[in-house]
Amino acid sequence: MSVEQKRKLIECCNVSKTFQVPGGENQVVKDFNFVCQENEFICLFGPGQCGKTTLINLIAGFEMPTEGTITVNGRQVTEPGPERGVVFQNITLFPWLTTMGNVEYGMKTAKIPKKERRERAQKYIDLVGLQGFEQSFPIQLSGGMKQRVGIARAYSIEPKVLLMDEPFGALDAQTRYLMQEELQRIWQAEKRTVIFVTNNIEEAIYLADRILVLSNCPATIKKEYQIDLPRPRKYTSPEFLSLRKEITSIVDKTL
Amino acid sequence: MKKKTFNIAELICAVISLAVFFGIWHLGTRGELGKLMPGPLPVIEKFLQTLFGGKIGSSTLIVHVAYSLARVMIGYFIGAAVGIVLGLSMGWSPLIEAIFAPLFRIIRPIPPIAWIPISIIWIGLGEDAKIFLIFLASFCYVTQNAWSGAKNVNPEYMNAARMLGAGKSRILFTVVLPASIPPIFAGLQVALSSCWATVLAAEMVRSSEGLGWIIIAGMNNNDMNQIMTGILAIGLVGMMLSTIFRKVEARLCRWNRSEN
Amino acid sequence: MEAKAGNERQVKVQVNHLTKKFGDLLVLDDISFDVEKGDLLCVVGPTGCGKTTFLNSLTKIYDITSGEILLDSHPVDPKKDHIAYIFQGNSTMPWLTVEQNVSFGLDIKHVPQEKKRELVDKYLEIVGLTKYRKYYPKQLSASMLQRVSIARAFATEPELLLMDEPYGQLDIELRFKLEDELIRLWEMTGTTVIFITHNIEEAVYLGEHIMVLTNKPTTVKQTLQNDLPRPRDIAAPEFVRLREEVTELIKWW
Repeated sequence: MSVEQKRKLIECCNVSKTFQVPGGENQVVKDFNFVCQENEFICLFGPGQCGKTTLINLIAGFEMPTEGTITVNGRQVTEPGPERGVVFQNITLFPWLTTMGNVEYGMKTAKIPKKERRERAQKYIDLVGLQGFEQSFPIQLSGGMKQRVGIARAYSIEPKVLLMDEPFGALDAQTRYLMQEELQRIWQAEKRTVIFVTNNIEEAIYLADRILVLSNCPATIKKEYQIDLPRPRKYTSPEFLSLRKEITSIVDKTL
Repeated sequence: MKKKTFNIAELICAVISLAVFFGIWHLGTRGELGKLMPGPLPVIEKFLQTLFGGKIGSSTLIVHVAYSLARVMIGYFIGAAVGIVLGLSMGWSPLIEAIFAPLFRIIRPIPPIAWIPISIIWIGLGEDAKIFLIFLASFCYVTQNAWSGAKNVNPEYMNAARMLGAGKSRILFTVVLPASIPPIFAGLQVALSSCWATVLAAEMVRSSEGLGWIIIAGMNNNDMNQIMTGILAIGLVGMMLSTIFRKVEARLCRWNRSEN
Repeated sequence: MEAKAGNERQVKVQVNHLTKKFGDLLVLDDISFDVEKGDLLCVVGPTGCGKTTFLNSLTKIYDITSGEILLDSHPVDPKKDHIAYIFQGNSTMPWLTVEQNVSFGLDIKHVPQEKKRELVDKYLEIVGLTKYRKYYPKQLSASMLQRVSIARAFATEPELLLMDEPYGQLDIELRFKLEDELIRLWEMTGTTVIFITHNIEEAVYLGEHIMVLTNKPTTVKQTLQNDLPRPRDIAAPEFVRLREEVTELIKWW
């Protein structure tokens, strides 16, 4: 199989996560198995609060699995690390730093010399289309612009993997389409392995090489779709719409 | 453009409200009441006359102001420095918190002026004791806010820093500290008014100079004019302090505002 | 169309030369349109085009700079007219139970006790929350909260219902479910609805008419009639065509 020929970058082996809650346990992820190849764009798509964010937190190393192992680039995940850049749901830029400051933060931590740091930061700021806003503080930026900074910040540490946790969830529908097109452009310009969590089916079909449809809590993989439509994709093409109908129909219903 | 017209409207309102206030004061103290309470004109006259020239007690008004201010500033800054360090450490390290929190919870609710009698008995309420009282006033508010500020830093910022490779101490200086600046400043502001109140109380109890002394000496001499001059000076100095404070805060917390 | 043409068309809302300035900044520029009684009008426009200012002017939350807004031929007055709003976020009162929330608007309007109970029961039933009537908002999911808001708005039996992007933050299946529910309620009650949204597909799915606004200063670019039969199919070629047509009208990216 072609999966074996390419390089495996992320491997989740029987991963389960259970949280202790008052009066018992809450299993959020159950027997999660998947392999992700280098430069693959994977969307985790599922309903409501089905444990998608927990999966991202596990791969990022913010939390440890209760059972099973996660391997990234051949090493088991035990803590967060700069080979895994995260773009957060609530953006979480440092509000006291400018665009430039936010993008440089990770490189400063890595003690990259100032000149190189500046150049690299500028490169990614340009890539996400924010030239002219280098000295703006997050509060002066719109939602879409903030998320662009978030993407540049994650890219700036040149990670192997980008973990994106519903990054466009808080944007309005139109800005969301725009950012989907932008992310697709950025990703094609600078290929990375991406794990992208979303509850928006159009977003998933537009962006993904492969969609993993998750069941409601605890999250397991319900079905997998390989999306071979040529890029850039068209939201209203018949293939797109029929895929969308099919996937929507198998998603667990929540109230 | 829009902003400027608004400022002019604000200025007009300020002038009108001050004019009405002084007008009522002036008219109200013209008749019999004037014996109990001087009008604004004699007070302003005395204020200007004693500011640099004439003396109240041993010194001019400006020297009295300087005495009070010096006491406040020394105590305030020491208290703030200790408070910021202790508060941030408590918010950062559960161990430090466990050690200091119980002690702090007992000391904090005691108003600084409650220590005045003990200070008199122990050390006679000299300069050291006054500064110590002001230190307490400043220390309590600043510690409290730095502590809760550091404790309530959005954990997502920490996660963001961790994924970018930051370790514990780097997170303390590049995330916890800046994120705590707004609550610390809120604490510093309350602390400043508390210190100002404390110095006046301490000076009223025992001293031979300072704005608190002017008021209490005025009372003893039945000199209403002197009391009102002292009160006017207190108001003006307080106003200046908070104006300076807001300017400093606006600079340091630029990222927290949407204008400019 | 045929059926409608037979009836006499009654204008419910009439907006004439609506203009709104903030200081020197012109936000709404001479907007005029009519809404017929029982219409479901969807308003779409580019991001940041002043849709919220538009809505707030309709409801007199903002004073308008010039022009007039008429409801049944008299100037609109939110204090007297029966207008209900549904906002984007959760606007339920956390300290009230579901049924108390639904009866909130009725309490303000001093509806008699008997009638109030009847209305609350009816609309809780319709949105499927009868089982949850004693729950507090904190105990409910986002879509259930939005249903509480919908029940609260419909319970006052408003003459005009204004909705500001009410489903913007919901999952797609939930959105479809609530959109269908809205259609059902609208068909049942004959309420006039103005529905503001960023989502073009939603506008095409819901609207009898679709009004497209321009960028700031906002004017009406075009109003499209939407005669697609209900229930509508988002993958039907006519649907896709209309959706693309509206997208072209507002595309700013």
